[in-house]
Amino acid sequence: MAREFQRGHKAKISDLTAGTDLYVGVQITGPGLSFDISCFGLDADEQLSDDRFFVFFNQPKTPEESIQLLGAQAGDTESFRVTLDRIPPQIQKLSFTATIDGAGQMSQVAPGYLRIVAGGEEVARYSFNGGEFSTERAVMLGDFYLKDVWRFAAVGQGFDGGLDALLKNFGGEVAEEEPAAPAPGAAAPSFAPPAQGAAPPAFGAPAGPAVPAPASAPQPAAQGFAPPQGATPPPAPAPSVHAAPTIIAPMTPPGGAPVPPPAPAPAPYAQPGQQQPPYGQAPGQTAPLPPGYGQPQAPQAPVPPPGYGQPTPPPGYGQQPPFGQVPGQPGAPGMPGAPAAYGVPQGAPQGGAGVTAALQAYKETPTGQRWTQQNKKMVRVDLGMGGDQAVLARQGSMVLYQGKVDFSYKGAGFSGRIVGNATGQEMQLMRCSGRGQVFLAENGAMLHPIELQGDAVCVSAENVLAFDETLQYEVRRVEGHGIPGGALFTMQFQGTGTVVVKTRGVPVVLPVTPTTFADCNAVVAWSAASQVIVSSQVRMRRNAYPGDTGESVNLQFRGAPGNFIVVQPYEV
Amino acid sequence: MNQQLAGFAPAPVAARMENHGNHMLKVAMQTGNDLLARVGSMVAYEGFVQYEPNPPAVRQIAKDWMTGEGAPLMKCSGDGLLYLSDYGANVVVINLNGDAISVNATNLLAFDAHLTWGVERVKGLAKFAGQGLWNTKISGQGWVALTSRGKPIVVDCGGGEDETYVDPDALVAWSPNLKVKGKRSFKAQSLIGRGSGEAFQMAFSGQGIVVVQPSEDSTDRLRVRG
Repeated sequence: MAREFQRGHKAKISDLTAGTDLYVGVQITGPGLSFDISCFGLDADEQLSDDRFFVFFNQPKTPEESIQLLGAQAGDTESFRVTLDRIPPQIQKLSFTATIDGAGQMSQVAPGYLRIVAGGEEVARYSFNGGEFSTERAVMLGDFYLKDVWRFAAVGQGFDGGLDALLKNFGGEVAEEEPAAPAPGAAAPSFAPPAQGAAPPAFGAPAGPAVPAPASAPQPAAQGFAPPQGATPPPAPAPSVHAAPTIIAPMTPPGGAPVPPPAPAPAPYAQPGQQQPPYGQAPGQTAPLPPGYGQPQAPQAPVPPPGYGQPTPPPGYGQQPPFGQVPGQPGAPGMPGAPAAYGVPQGAPQGGAGVTAALQAYKETPTGQRWTQQNKKMVRVDLGMGGDQAVLARQGSMVLYQGKVDFSYKGAGFSGRIVGNATGQEMQLMRCSGRGQVFLAENGAMLHPIELQGDAVCVSAENVLAFDETLQYEVRRVEGHGIPGGALFTMQFQGTGTVVVKTRGVPVVLPVTPTTFADCNAVVAWSAASQVIVSSQVRMRRNAYPGDTGESVNLQFRGAPGNFIVVQPYEV
Repeated sequence: MNQQLAGFAPAPVAARMENHGNHMLKVAMQTGNDLLARVGSMVAYEGFVQYEPNPPAVRQIAKDWMTGEGAPLMKCSGDGLLYLSDYGANVVVINLNGDAISVNATNLLAFDAHLTWGVERVKGLAKFAGQGLWNTKISGQGWVALTSRGKPIVVDCGGGEDETYVDPDALVAWSPNLKVKGKRSFKAQSLIGRGSGEAFQMAFSGQGIVVVQPSEDSTDRLRVRG
């Protein structure tokens, strides 16, 4: 599920996804506007010290191909592929920007977004609209930045000038408008087109029918050196777009093009001609090896991640057949142990090899508090902390414990039993006491620790997973006609401590307003200060027929602002 | 229409096994590099992949897996992309790279056929094993995919004196070098219907990790289907 970002929000990318091979899509449109979306690779001083790390329509990738421009696809006006672990160390920040090409201002843009997709799943989305901007002509949408680890920040900051001003801001140079760059005929390296042409379908989204027109124009331009004037949208009055190409002109002269891999690389392109099986192995390997799906250079790989400046194209991207082996390196045939061909994948989502590395993403989160949520579905309680208090938990909810913990039956007492049996709000509890950590979970339900500080909350008994023994609890009764069983019973918790509430699915927390209603079967909890009224839509005649809506008994909540109710997407 | 769905297209292959989302496994198949997968776990494939249920070699090794009903494994071979999943369980991909891991039988989704593996009964638990705690120990150079109902948690046993106790229903995998023993925690009370609900646990001690899932539902969905 995509995490929604607001302007200014930041997060570690490792919290969003374990992968490092990311797809970044930007959708930005506006009536009559066209946009240039680019990515600046900045150094520690936030300067564009190396022009090769300015990725835009005319320079679709960085030399080591850690950042690549993919063009429009899947609803995105422009998209990038970013391979975080291949970004060279001097690049500390990637800034994704959009600039208006031609006349216009940012306040005219339609609602758009910047999103991050990893492994086919959208993990983050920052949405913006024109109302956040005014007369700016450029906007810095979001940053990937390196602070110990790679993080993402939703920036959404407008910028007054156009692309050229933005470039100057980052310390780049804007060469004056020049007659277009070298003749495309001689310049266009023969490898480049296939690389580009094949790229979009392989990554993230089928480009074919989905590609909207606007950005596909700049993309072809990226292969030649001079953007055909007609292809780029309305001719800019300022030197905005057309000035840009000249910046990278020195970088991509015909001879020294860093983009296509030089001599050893022809293998991949020759591949179609050779008689390879459709999902063929890496070309250029010698026979005795079992066909490795992986990279031939993998055996050497365990040490460094395939580095900067290595001419190898990224795996699976563009140049290859769909099943994506990496073209053979000349050095490969010498490799010794056959199985080693599986080595470390270049773009693998997991950080390294071995069990520990693969499971790194699931490590238990460090201690520090009495109740720690491990992930959405598991909590850990540290019994030693906060005075040796016991915890009451639903029977059978323990999945793991460390230390000396004693589990004992917790009865409700004689009177409690009678109440419990009569009301259906009986809980089978166990008492966990001692010293140690207990991990609690139940049937993959989502868990929500609610910390009470003197206030009170009502929870339907079947949604209670565990609570501190220090809390007082009692059964409360909601009366009303039409409720199955005659009345609705809930548990009210009061005092100082934590209650862990479980829900099936992601719940919704609604503020209590004069018109807040909930199904009595789906409501999980509410703040005890709100008053509950049963409202039944009694239409006898209609209820008598089959095809009844079944939504006849609702609970209405009333209370002062600040009260809330929690409803789960699952009716018990 | 395509635009909404397009974001779910597979990412380019970078490794033998990868996650597609949290709940699906993508395997790059290749001739000569077979895969053993749970029967019934295939959801889609591209290319030319053939399935051989219960190949003789597997039958021999796993002849007594789950009360001798036959190994719930199939051998997949061919070239292409294979997608596996287990009723929406989370999939965890591990590149063993020489390590070893013991996996609960119901939590094993697929592994490379050339890995060294064997089915064994969980030691010390035989007397409890009403539900049959069988585990598969896998080691070597290659890839393993596990399933977990909900996102798993990895706990380090720490090697200290303290043992780590796990509810067998929530157990997914563990390091094979850990010492395992069963622990009854019920007392006389529980015989009269007053148990804590945690009748017995598995105790792990030593250096290594234990993987648990946030669910005690250990029913084998792939198996139920037959």
